[in-house]
Amino acid sequence: MTVPLQAEALDISFKLLPAIIVFLMMASFLVIGFVFKVADTEGMWVAGRGIGNIENGMAIGANWMSAASYLGLAGLVALAGFYGLAFIVGWTTGYFVLLIFLAAQMRRFGKYTAPDFVADRFNSPMARALAAFTTLLIAYVYSVGQARGMGLVGQYVFGLDIIPMIIVMMTITVGYLALSGMLGATKNMAVQYVILIVAFLAGVYVVGFSQGYSTVLPQIEYGALFSELGRQFSEPFIGGNSYYLWVATAFSLIVGTCGLPHVLVRFYTVESERTARWSTVWGLFFILLLYWAAPAMAAFGVDLFAAVNGISSEAVFSGEQAMSGAEGDVIVVLAAQFAQLPTWFVGLVAAGAMAAAIATTAGLFITASSAVAHDIYAELINPDATQRQQVLIGRATIIGIGALVTVTAFNPPALIGELVAYAFSLAGTVLFPMFFLGLWWENTNRQGALAGMTVGLLLWFTSIINSVLPAYVGFLADIAGGSGQALIPIYAQYVPPIGAALIGTPLVFLVTIAVSMATPEPPLETKRMVRQCHSPEPMGQQQSAEDVVADGGEEMAADGGTTADETDTEA
Amino acid sequence: MTDNRSQQDDAVTDGGRAADDAVTDGGRAADDAATDGGRAANDAATDGGVTASAAQKHSNTDYLSEEVNLLKPSTAYMRDHLRIVWTGFIVWAVIVFGPVTMTMLAPGTMTTTMPVLGFPWHYFLVAFGAPTGALILAAVYARQRDKLDDKYGIDHSTAVEPDDSGATAATDGGQQE
Repeated sequence: MTVPLQAEALDISFKLLPAIIVFLMMASFLVIGFVFKVADTEGMWVAGRGIGNIENGMAIGANWMSAASYLGLAGLVALAGFYGLAFIVGWTTGYFVLLIFLAAQMRRFGKYTAPDFVADRFNSPMARALAAFTTLLIAYVYSVGQARGMGLVGQYVFGLDIIPMIIVMMTITVGYLALSGMLGATKNMAVQYVILIVAFLAGVYVVGFSQGYSTVLPQIEYGALFSELGRQFSEPFIGGNSYYLWVATAFSLIVGTCGLPHVLVRFYTVESERTARWSTVWGLFFILLLYWAAPAMAAFGVDLFAAVNGISSEAVFSGEQAMSGAEGDVIVVLAAQFAQLPTWFVGLVAAGAMAAAIATTAGLFITASSAVAHDIYAELINPDATQRQQVLIGRATIIGIGALVTVTAFNPPALIGELVAYAFSLAGTVLFPMFFLGLWWENTNRQGALAGMTVGLLLWFTSIINSVLPAYVGFLADIAGGSGQALIPIYAQYVPPIGAALIGTPLVFLVTIAVSMATPEPPLETKRMVRQCHSPEPMGQQQSAEDVVADGGEEMAADGGTTADETDTEA
Repeated sequence: MTDNRSQQDDAVTDGGRAADDAVTDGGRAADDAATDGGRAANDAATDGGVTASAAQKHSNTDYLSEEVNLLKPSTAYMRDHLRIVWTGFIVWAVIVFGPVTMTMLAPGTMTTTMPVLGFPWHYFLVAFGAPTGALILAAVYARQRDKLDDKYGIDHSTAVEPDDSGATAATDGGQQE
């Protein structure tokens, strides 16, 4: 199952102009973040209220777009054809489910992180620990995909071998993290979004126009290419990519979208639940600007790949000269390179990918470090932990997870998009049912949540052990009868790591509901908190459901329990 | 277009339920009426009855003592809201999983080439149709939800500063003086 490391077709050498572009892009993130941070304290924020919807929509978009969207998506569409579309569908349409079931209620609940939500809703430090562990695991798996993307694209710009390249890029990421922390630069995601989308769309438009594929709407015009592309580009359900796998993948990505901690955080920063709703709509639109164009870039790339290598359109998918996994993963950059565009322009497209990957990884590392330092260490292991100890633990986490991600990325088990999808199926299996049931059924209790999360984690782990680990661990491969084999083929067929949530999520729902019904109902206080999340009464900007309930009911809710405890602001 | 009809529906069903409420709520409703003063009358004058009854029901509901259960909505607002949610969800499910299922059932028909654009149908419906459909649905939902707030007389624009002493009016159903 391991994929080839290096993209042979990529022009690997040090290029000065692209290197400068990468540097400038990262520097602009820091500078803009720093400037906006200063402005914030001047009360910019109040003035900025009017643009809440669109600005937060862009933030949702920037948050969303990592190397998986920028590179992995086009790679999957190029290599896996119709199956690749399951990723487009899964990573976009999930926002509607998030919108109708969770966004506004999450906003009203008023907690930032997944562990905070789970701990407060289910009154359990143990539940907090499970959620924190899951968050950590998600950050790790998610980052492996990013590291692979950074390493591959970094080769075009800096020209190192893949392994030193990954090490260098991860070092840059940790450096960026430290710098942004030192400058106090809150990430200005709206600006980040604009830079990324411009870099990506510039690539699609210029490649399409210069090669005569398209003019004003490449997102639609690539349809004309289908008659020339290989049959495999659009043929449904070929090879192992069955209808079941398609649906399982799309389903996992959809529920994963609704369960990913860093997506939910975005709803807490908006002014009201109404903004939470409309900014989701805008966010989806901004995401689609990239997702409409990604398959067009894939089609251009596949066609150019055949032309440049002088092979038939079918030979792109099979045979000696077929496109490798690594080449698919950088198809966005390759297409620009094949189109003979100037080096600085290809560099711009590559820089966009690296910026997306670095910013996302930095964000994931912060999430991981707070999960370990705050939720696991300070809340469970050492309640008397000093601030200093927590900071130390947090930094150690970043170094530890950074090293682990780097090493795993040397020999990744799958394409960028697939790696990130593993994280989605984990979030969809373990966290989404907790959010959904926690908000929509007040009788969900601690025992139910603990049982549900445990089952979800077990299911995901067994799926990974069954399908992914035999490629790495000698004795598992022996049992499986080959490194590319699964231990239990039937389990791998129905619970593939990439689509584990299709079985996993309903199972976790059932377990959580059954255990909740068999055990005592949660305390009234908790129920009232859930009810407050659904009450149509507007809430104060700084209020959480807990405050309202603690203040004792509706009338008090009105004049708004002024909150004192806004301490756990997101890092 | 279905809006009018559903509002009328509500008006009709409201009749009976409002009486119910009055009975079970006992003194509370009366209480509310006392504190709310002329507001209800005001609403009735401007909105012509329908909205007023929804808004009144809203102000008669203590949301913190009504059970939250996705399958058994307990308040009028929740019932209306869930109607929008489930309708959207069903349409969404068809848009997202419909084309791929059709492709599995009738691969021949679905893979024919579209006129003008040149895509095979199944490819276009999935790559372009599903995401775009979700976007449209999302916008429709957000609008419907805003309308629902209007119907119940809820105003988010006054969004309640924590230290705003006059906030009672706002949460009491969005009455802006």
